[in-house]
Amino acid sequence: MNRKILGFLPFLIFVLLCVFLYQGLFGNPRELQTGRLGQTMPSFNLPDLMDENKRWTEKELLGEVYLMNVWGTWCPTCIAELGYLTKLREQGVKIVGLYYEQAYDPDFGDHFDINALREEVDTMLSRAGNPYQFNILDLERSLALDLGVSGAPETFLVDKEGTILLHHTGDINQRVWRNKFLPVLEELQP
Amino acid sequence: MIPEIGYFALVLAMALSLLLCIFPLWGAYTGNLRLMRAAPSLALGQCLFVLFSFGILIYITLTDDFTVAYVAHHSSSTLPWYYKVTSTWGGHEGAILLWLVMQSSWTALVALMSKSLPWVLRARVLGVLGFLGVGFMLYTLWMSSPFERLLPYFPVEGRDLNPLLQDPGMIIHPPLLYMGYVGLSVSFSFAIAALLTGKLDNTWAKWSRPWTMVAWAFLTLGITIGSWWAYAELGWGGWWFWDPVENASLMPWLVATALLHSLAVTEKRGVFKSWTVLLAIAAFSLCLLGTFIVRSGIIVSVHAFATDPDRGLYILSFLAVVVGGSLALYAARVSQVHSEGRYRFASREVALWLNNIFLVVATLIVLLGTLLPMIHKELGLGSISIGVPFFNQMFAILIVPFALLLGIAPMLRWKQNTLSPLAKKWLVNVALSLVATAAWLFSSYEQVSALTFMATVLAVWIVFSTIADLLQKVSLQTSISEGFKRLGLSYWAMVLGHVGLAFVIASVTLTSAYSVERAVAMKPGDIATLNEYQYRFDGVKEIRGPNYSGHAGVVTVLKNDEFITELYAEKRLYDIGMQFMTEAAIDDGFFRDLYLALGEQMSQGAWSLRIYHKPYVRWMWLGGILISLAGFVVLADKRYRRRVKKEAQV
Repeated sequence: MNRKILGFLPFLIFVLLCVFLYQGLFGNPRELQTGRLGQTMPSFNLPDLMDENKRWTEKELLGEVYLMNVWGTWCPTCIAELGYLTKLREQGVKIVGLYYEQAYDPDFGDHFDINALREEVDTMLSRAGNPYQFNILDLERSLALDLGVSGAPETFLVDKEGTILLHHTGDINQRVWRNKFLPVLEELQP
Repeated sequence: MIPEIGYFALVLAMALSLLLCIFPLWGAYTGNLRLMRAAPSLALGQCLFVLFSFGILIYITLTDDFTVAYVAHHSSSTLPWYYKVTSTWGGHEGAILLWLVMQSSWTALVALMSKSLPWVLRARVLGVLGFLGVGFMLYTLWMSSPFERLLPYFPVEGRDLNPLLQDPGMIIHPPLLYMGYVGLSVSFSFAIAALLTGKLDNTWAKWSRPWTMVAWAFLTLGITIGSWWAYAELGWGGWWFWDPVENASLMPWLVATALLHSLAVTEKRGVFKSWTVLLAIAAFSLCLLGTFIVRSGIIVSVHAFATDPDRGLYILSFLAVVVGGSLALYAARVSQVHSEGRYRFASREVALWLNNIFLVVATLIVLLGTLLPMIHKELGLGSISIGVPFFNQMFAILIVPFALLLGIAPMLRWKQNTLSPLAKKWLVNVALSLVATAAWLFSSYEQVSALTFMATVLAVWIVFSTIADLLQKVSLQTSISEGFKRLGLSYWAMVLGHVGLAFVIASVTLTSAYSVERAVAMKPGDIATLNEYQYRFDGVKEIRGPNYSGHAGVVTVLKNDEFITELYAEKRLYDIGMQFMTEAAIDDGFFRDLYLALGEQMSQGAWSLRIYHKPYVRWMWLGGILISLAGFVVLADKRYRRRVKKEAQV
């Protein structure tokens, strides 16, 4: 009888594995459990991408619901979502860009040319659409680090009190917007 | 019109596959010989239609038909023709079609080469292969057709092939890997056919062995080339990342390696029968599981394949039917299997059994490491990540007993041994290995850590034991030349495989221990020194390729003011995707690689560069090639072919 039970063991283990695989299929591994979810926006003091004299802090963003979109011109998916984000802006969604410069690594002694970058961003936004109210330049990646950004594009939904309600990894398209963002937004405005 | 013909050819192939699945299996069940006899021609037919369909995909890619979504997404008109051809498997849909090409070709090959098998077994093997074929074809036709159109709005230019995939390594890596995966489906089919027939004797093992060998050899080669590709193309000098996708190919390899050894025992001694069948099922199941992991996107990987829950669900259902069905069949039949041979503890049987245990434990470690983060999350315990250190540590521990055993096992005979004369030999070998390793390492390096020393001893021990055993076997014969002649190719295959593994162990150990790298900022004329080499930066020149432009850093490598070589480390910007790619410059050598990657431009004409000195890194791939050669050598074994012929006359 032992042989019989032993013979069934691989089958049982496999069935168990299948259950997990099935659940895994509908759970999203890209959904990060941001430590920040439900917490307030970390404090920052960073320059505007287009104007180094203008500096932004988290306090200036209070009072309005907004999206913070982490992006860069080096990231093809970010460029791809610009069109849809621009549509959202036209519908009245406030979108703030957090510009993430990939090529620059201060520890590596890289040279950084802000003018070239501005020109590049300008060209890109005028070609693909500009969804942003303004862009914050996070050259040292301090805010990105505080937010738990793992790549680009990523988008945070922040409410009037500065609480982070959503952290989305990957591009925003109509499906994501409808299924993930709208329900949360509808809860905000009963 | 032409893409539609390709699709239709696949529909016909699936129809034939469906018949291939039903007729022979039904025939074998009812004892109807006419139905069974239909199998080979059906197998050939479905293969022809799949090949035709694949030919059409290549044709529409070469002719830049961007109305086809697959071509528009994975190719472009500026792509060189050979990369256009490889782009047919650079994306998901095409890769699955390539899998189908392999699957149907193996099926046709089995049909052609199995003439001397009894009809009941032959029909069942082909029937199971037909069933697998139907599964993959249905998937292609239903969920992932590469012939889908983008009408009426189609782009005038394609999106280009991912620059990472524009490399010779990528041309052959996936086909080799698929040859291996699909080849294991043949071992699987033999196992299922044997279970269905209820005769798990050594005939089954004998037939399954060469197919498993070839599949395993291809898999080895595929993994080796994948590792080399990562090293040459990813630009940071790594060769293995324990990425889920890599793990997906390593798991079937580990189990297939266990299967090879276990098949030998089953064939020669008639023991371990049910275990061997289970391994054959497991090897192919892990191929399917790997495909599921890679293609469904349940695990985040650097290999960003398209993720689609519907596709994942299909593959999972297919996996459940194939694996669940075969394991249920196994459970139902296994209690009828009885071992024939008897053996003592000090025997080759037990040594090979231990080999299997180690390989299976290694597989479980990889499987757990890959799936645990997901399971952990499903259980609501939060996100965890299992990284490189876990795998490295586990494998470092496992390799010690494994390598020791590997030195001992070939000297053992079947059934039983007296250990004392062997023990003397082992002690001599251990002493020799210690001395040789000490001489080698202390003469080359100032500092040798205990771990590095120990791991290197293992590699040297494998080589010495293998040579000692070889000499012993040769000396039993009257003359040396006679001795070499009588050893047989499968013995040489074992020697190749084991020495290959020794090379891999030595390479991994020494590269990990003694690789050095420097990040420097250099102006033209500057010289940087790393180990015994001087690197003179001669400036940067513009380059222009067929579909990219960029810069090449020119570096002259000197050793004691003597010219060694000139290296061009490139940074490419691909026109269409606007993606940057680092094309590292590598001066390869038997004992060391010099590896150079160009960084960013800095102020005043300076550039950042990364220089790596990697000792013995090439041995890794040399070892991989030796190991895979072992699989191909066995095929040429006369002993094996003669036996096949003899049976054909019966």
